[in-house]
Amino acid sequence: MSEVQKKKYSDKEKNNIFDHEFMPHIDSMYNFAFRLTFDEDDAKDLVQDTYLKAYRFINSFEQGTNAKAWLFRILKNSFINEYRKKSKQPSKVDYQEVETYYNSDSVDYNITSDLRVDAVKDMLGDEISNALNSLAVDFRTVIILCDLEGFTYEEMAKILDIPIGTVRSRLHRARNLLKEKLHSYAKDMGYDADED
Amino acid sequence: MEKNVNSSGERKLECGDVSKCFQLLERILDGDDCDGSKEVLKDKLSKCQPCFEHYHLEQAIREMLKNKCTKQAVPGELAASIRQKIEEIK
Repeated sequence: MSEVQKKKYSDKEKNNIFDHEFMPHIDSMYNFAFRLTFDEDDAKDLVQDTYLKAYRFINSFEQGTNAKAWLFRILKNSFINEYRKKSKQPSKVDYQEVETYYNSDSVDYNITSDLRVDAVKDMLGDEISNALNSLAVDFRTVIILCDLEGFTYEEMAKILDIPIGTVRSRLHRARNLLKEKLHSYAKDMGYDADED
Repeated sequence: MEKNVNSSGERKLECGDVSKCFQLLERILDGDDCDGSKEVLKDKLSKCQPCFEHYHLEQAIREMLKNKCTKQAVPGELAASIRQKIEEIK
């Protein structure tokens, strides 16, 4: 958070910002928190902590800027600092290994040619949701921010504190991993790319 | 199924640079527009079968994600509990 501009809002202004710019994002915040923690109570705590921090540091929020992105950044940092440690999911991905595999042309082509639009459209919410949840947290996060919440690459770079080029490449890899998962579901459902 | 024919002729069945093209198509779908992206998109979709398929597959996945993964019900008491905590620290 930028500490450069320290302007003080009055109590009335603070309440106004909180009610009209922060609270309307509670649905998205909870959905994000739940998909990070996979636990209702942890998600509630994470959202609550985020809103308390947002209130405490409200003077570093600049009115007119993107409140949702500002809140998501706080939530993401709280998750990394407090919740990731205690969560049971594997925390780190070996990016080098994943990068080597998922950045090759053959992988790009094979996954796409094996998975078909009609198979995806026939999937139930649970299958899509499980496929998303099965991704390592860093890959899951970029898909959530981009596809579920509609953040731009630039906003994602700020939320995640990574360069925009990393946003692009991580998203591409995340999408390949997701498609691979969906492909295995499609095969279970009886879809086979070889049969036309 | 007539896969590789459209009004302007035939789509090529192999893409010359799959990784580059697919990443570009994904960026366009994400709204991360680059120079002349509309023309590039039109050109790729009409001339290249793998690009055409990839674009529509990516589009379908995005729609499914958006429709099926954003409906997590927020616990009813959460907003009230947040407001109460804020009152306490004021």
